[in-house]
Amino acid sequence: MGSSSNNSGSSNYDLSFKVLLIGDSGVGKSSLLVSFISNSTHDQSPTIGVDFKIKTLTVGGKKLKLTIWDTAGQERFRTLTSSYYRGAQGIILVYDVTRRETFTNLSDVWAKEVELYSTNQDCVKMLVGNKVDKDSERAVTREEGIALAQQLGSLFLECSAKTRENVEQCFEELALKIMEVPSLLEEGSNVGKRNVLKQKQDQRASPPGGGCCA
Amino acid sequence: MASALLSPTQRYAAGTLFGLAIHEAQIHQSRPLCVGSSHQNHIEDDDDQRISTGSSTTSSADSVSEDPHLWVHPDSALLRPILQFLEIDSGAWSGIEETAGASHSSHHVGAYLRLLSEESEESSSEIKDQELALAKGVDCMKASMEASSDFENKRDKQREYAQDRREKCSVPEVPETPSTTDEIEVIQSIQERTIATVPEQLPTQGSEYKFKEEPAEEERILGYERKITVLYQLLSASLATMSENSKNSKQRKGYDARHRVALRLLATWLDVKWAKVEAMETMIACSVMALVKEEELKRGENGSEKSTWAKWKRGGIIGAAAVTGGALLAITGGLAAPAIAAGFSALAPTLGTIIPLFSLYHMLHAEIYAAAGAGLSGTKMARRIGDIDEFEFKAVGENHGQGRLAVGILVSGFVFDEEDFIMPWEGLTNNLERYVLVWESKHLIAVSTAIQDWLTSSIALGLMKQGAMLTVLSTLLTALAWPATLLALTDFIDSKWTIAVDRSDKAGKLLAEVLLKGLQGNRPVTLVGYSLGARVIFRCLQHLSKTEHQANLVERVVLLGAPIPIKDENWEAVRKVVAGRFINVYSQNDWMLGVAFRASLLSKGLAGIQAVDIPGIENVDATDTIEGHSSYLWATQEILDQLELDTYFPVFRSSATKN
Repeated sequence: MGSSSNNSGSSNYDLSFKVLLIGDSGVGKSSLLVSFISNSTHDQSPTIGVDFKIKTLTVGGKKLKLTIWDTAGQERFRTLTSSYYRGAQGIILVYDVTRRETFTNLSDVWAKEVELYSTNQDCVKMLVGNKVDKDSERAVTREEGIALAQQLGSLFLECSAKTRENVEQCFEELALKIMEVPSLLEEGSNVGKRNVLKQKQDQRASPPGGGCCA
Repeated sequence: MASALLSPTQRYAAGTLFGLAIHEAQIHQSRPLCVGSSHQNHIEDDDDQRISTGSSTTSSADSVSEDPHLWVHPDSALLRPILQFLEIDSGAWSGIEETAGASHSSHHVGAYLRLLSEESEESSSEIKDQELALAKGVDCMKASMEASSDFENKRDKQREYAQDRREKCSVPEVPETPSTTDEIEVIQSIQERTIATVPEQLPTQGSEYKFKEEPAEEERILGYERKITVLYQLLSASLATMSENSKNSKQRKGYDARHRVALRLLATWLDVKWAKVEAMETMIACSVMALVKEEELKRGENGSEKSTWAKWKRGGIIGAAAVTGGALLAITGGLAAPAIAAGFSALAPTLGTIIPLFSLYHMLHAEIYAAAGAGLSGTKMARRIGDIDEFEFKAVGENHGQGRLAVGILVSGFVFDEEDFIMPWEGLTNNLERYVLVWESKHLIAVSTAIQDWLTSSIALGLMKQGAMLTVLSTLLTALAWPATLLALTDFIDSKWTIAVDRSDKAGKLLAEVLLKGLQGNRPVTLVGYSLGARVIFRCLQHLSKTEHQANLVERVVLLGAPIPIKDENWEAVRKVVAGRFINVYSQNDWMLGVAFRASLLSKGLAGIQAVDIPGIENVDATDTIEGHSSYLWATQEILDQLELDTYFPVFRSSATKN
């Protein structure tokens, strides 16, 4: 199924992070993900609801497992996205460099959503301009992208899911940045520790009890 | 087509919600619902909503695809067939599974309910009319189901029986109704003693369960018709679950108990009464029945039945039939309801138990009718196992041949005559198709009588008068040395008790085999038993837990006054084969159990007089109602009423909750 990539040693990793892909419909979120996961560059049909992929990679000497949630950009699924921000350590905001409105929507709509719904104060954001292979149709300049990234306090990259230019960097840089944030690093390693020790739930050192479930 | 009433987006939302419900239901198997955080010190924000699957070798993975023990994993074949039936694009399946099994799955419920509520652009007035028709049909069916049973009469009969047994069994010194101040004092001292001498009883283990989950907030934005339509579609999908990929060995047939539990949870989220879902079940059953009959008439006797069924399946005829049934009911409106209900029930007997029709996907024809015809009531010592002499199901209640899609099997274990197998269960008013299990009556009567004689013997009464034995635990904890004369008398009980316990273990195995064979028509089963009957059920579950079956057969379990040790029995494994609620009702005053079980009581504990401290098991202290073991004969009914078995969440409404 879609979630299998190179997860042959799925429990063999040091850290695990949750990453969320958001942005307007048709900017190439799924293409970017598929390009990253399987090196293929097929055209993707519009995502229904939310898709999920796993990728393990080695960054900075650590084996990482990324669980990546790919959300649908279509308006009718907009209501869903809000519940997926919870617990994400990294959020990738994608726009299409050839369609200006996808860029303006990022600052007008999506960045606000992130602020509203993200539960992780320290969560790392990354702004990605996709489809740079269509340079002749470019409608958003690199400088504008950088400026918005600064304004949002996020990383920035331009890439092409089609030519795979910068695709891997995009996820690697995000992962590196996440590992620099102590609180996120801790979150990521908790999951790993659980797997290595194969502990049962009860035995894990759980955080001080917060009483009942909500 | 089956899914025509909902837009693709709505179907996607419905499928995901069902997945969320399935996963939540699995979590609740091993995690108590808000009964305090004494032993499950987890907090909501932790990322541990993943289920640890019991065996220590299983790691909890980060994604559903890595953990085949999860109910939402494709291997469990619970969710995918539903998604397929709903015609959801297969590209979205893994996303749905991961969403359902993700760390914070419960947070998604609201979002998906919102998605469900959105009007699709192509939603025509025709669809709206159909939704309305369906909803009206369901209401109508529910009304007719309620009208068709004569509760009052049954209640009276039950009351009479209870009174009779109470008189017969009551120990002279304990009057039925405390009236004098003296007697009230005695009772009070019992209660004080109970509290004072059993310090290990946790305050959170009492009967004060709270609802954790109320209807989701977003539920309000959904129209009633839409809710009914969604539940209806999911129910149809659950019933029509097809085994096209027969390579999967875990594939089962029929109506999976886990599906029913998930539907129950979903109905709670949607704030739809469970009786409505039961009405839908009956509607679908009857519609399919009618359809099959019609088809049979048309076809005559020739033609391959298998291929015909395959054709129906492809055409989504189950769903179609369901919708037709709804429309049909709606058209005739409220006025004709009783007539239609009569029509439905007139149809039913001609085919015997109709339910196996849903398992037709495997095996249409002879076997089914054979199985259905015989069914549970035909299981009269189907074969001898060991030295079981008697093992027979008897139909009770009015729900037979009425298209009920859930079965209740009720097992007595402390009986004085044949009537005691049946009467304690006569007053039940739920929609289950009910059977009682009559087993080893000779031995049960012998042991029950012996115990009763002992209880009324002068020495025991003397002890009781002094209040020395008022609570079992305190007695055994404080006074380990019993008078020799008292112990001598128990020898007589012991020999009979040992035989009866042995038979109950064997009967449990037999019951498991009956369920594995699908003689209940492959419908979800609710098992309720008291005394040794509870032990039969426990052994049955234990046997099931050793097979590859997960919780697909048994939906709910209630054990009352169960003579089962707490230690040295794998309660966790037994819990896992029950999809929904698992309730242990105990009484601290049940010293008959204490006496019979005294050998291991202190070292191993006893479910019938103590709480079983296993996550996911609801413990209910019925000490106030159960003054002695024989009380289960007449109080079981009342306790079951208080448990509100049709609620998804732990409930025990008793006088005890007042304090």
